[in-house]
Amino acid sequence: MSTPEADHSRDPCPIVILNDFGGAFSMGVIGGCVWHGIKGFRNSPYGERRIGAISAIKARAPVVGGNFGTWGGLFSFYDCSIKAIRKREDAWNAIIAGFCVGGSLAIRGGPRHTFNSAVTCACVLGVFEGVGMMFQRYMAWANKPVAMPIPDQPQSAPLGA
Amino acid sequence: MSWIFGGKKQEQQPQQAPVEDNRQATNRLGFDPSQISDVSTILGSVGVDPTRLHPLAGLDKEIEFLDLDEEKLATLEGTGNGLLPSRGWTDDLCYGAGSVYVSGLAFGGLRGFSEGLKHLPVGKVDPVTNEVRAVPFKLKLNTILNQVTKHGPHMGNSAGVLAIMYNLIDSSLDNLRGKHDDLNSLAAGALSGALFKSSSGVKPMGYSAGVMTLAAAAWCGFKKYLI
Repeated sequence: MSTPEADHSRDPCPIVILNDFGGAFSMGVIGGCVWHGIKGFRNSPYGERRIGAISAIKARAPVVGGNFGTWGGLFSFYDCSIKAIRKREDAWNAIIAGFCVGGSLAIRGGPRHTFNSAVTCACVLGVFEGVGMMFQRYMAWANKPVAMPIPDQPQSAPLGA
Repeated sequence: MSWIFGGKKQEQQPQQAPVEDNRQATNRLGFDPSQISDVSTILGSVGVDPTRLHPLAGLDKEIEFLDLDEEKLATLEGTGNGLLPSRGWTDDLCYGAGSVYVSGLAFGGLRGFSEGLKHLPVGKVDPVTNEVRAVPFKLKLNTILNQVTKHGPHMGNSAGVLAIMYNLIDSSLDNLRGKHDDLNSLAAGALSGALFKSSSGVKPMGYSAGVMTLAAAAWCGFKKYLI
């Protein structure tokens, strides 16, 4: 806990995988409810729109959640493993983890598909990290500390004990 | 690691005696407070030490003082008896959904594995030579993997959705009633079970509510007696 670049707002490593998994799953389920609710509503005939929305949510929202959760959990798992191996935290961790996740999720499609998917995922994560870093730099530049001006004029009344 | 051992102690330095003579003050501050005429006298003196600005800042320690607010634990009555200390309803939701999804996935995956082993493809009889053609290993592996990936996520998804509903209802009840106790858990279990089966009739709703109440009771008992 003494590395200054570590993120202290998150739990330490092995246990945070569960947290990320659950967070991604919940996000996927709730987002999937909205998405497939609207989609099911629009794609149903008049008179069956509500029931169509509900059955679309029931059929699809958990699947979306599962996909999100698998992605997030695997990413967190690889991120933790890479942190443990490299013993540092930087943008490369996320990129390598993205590469591994993309490869793992496409592993049943053959080596070529696996590799392509891994590279795509790593590129996406690289873009994310790059944008995040630019944003961080911009924030640091916008909020940079300003030196206090030193007043030279003697005060009118001396501060005293 | 303060999240697992509770909040950190904030030591306060004893207050200085308000009255002290000038020499003591000069030793401590680096300048004589009765001789000040302007600010640069203070800034130019050697005695300004940033670690003495505020005792709570803890500048001589690690950088951890920054996250005092981030690591604040939940303050609701009755919290803090779970497996992990919780920082609020988001922690409960994420950890609950994550752990339940993973156990559902593992359970369903094992079931799919046994299903796959049961339904392994059998070799065909060659019509010319009348020999039984062996099934290639890849085909067997594919059968098993298909069953695992069919049953595992299905069970995981259902369990995860149940866990999300349970945790959302539980946290809402906690906040409504102002405390976190077993009654809330049981009610949340019953409600989420009923909601889960709410589109397939009253009887399945009742069964599912009962099962979820039992599961919530088991979880409460586990928390109370086994930890």
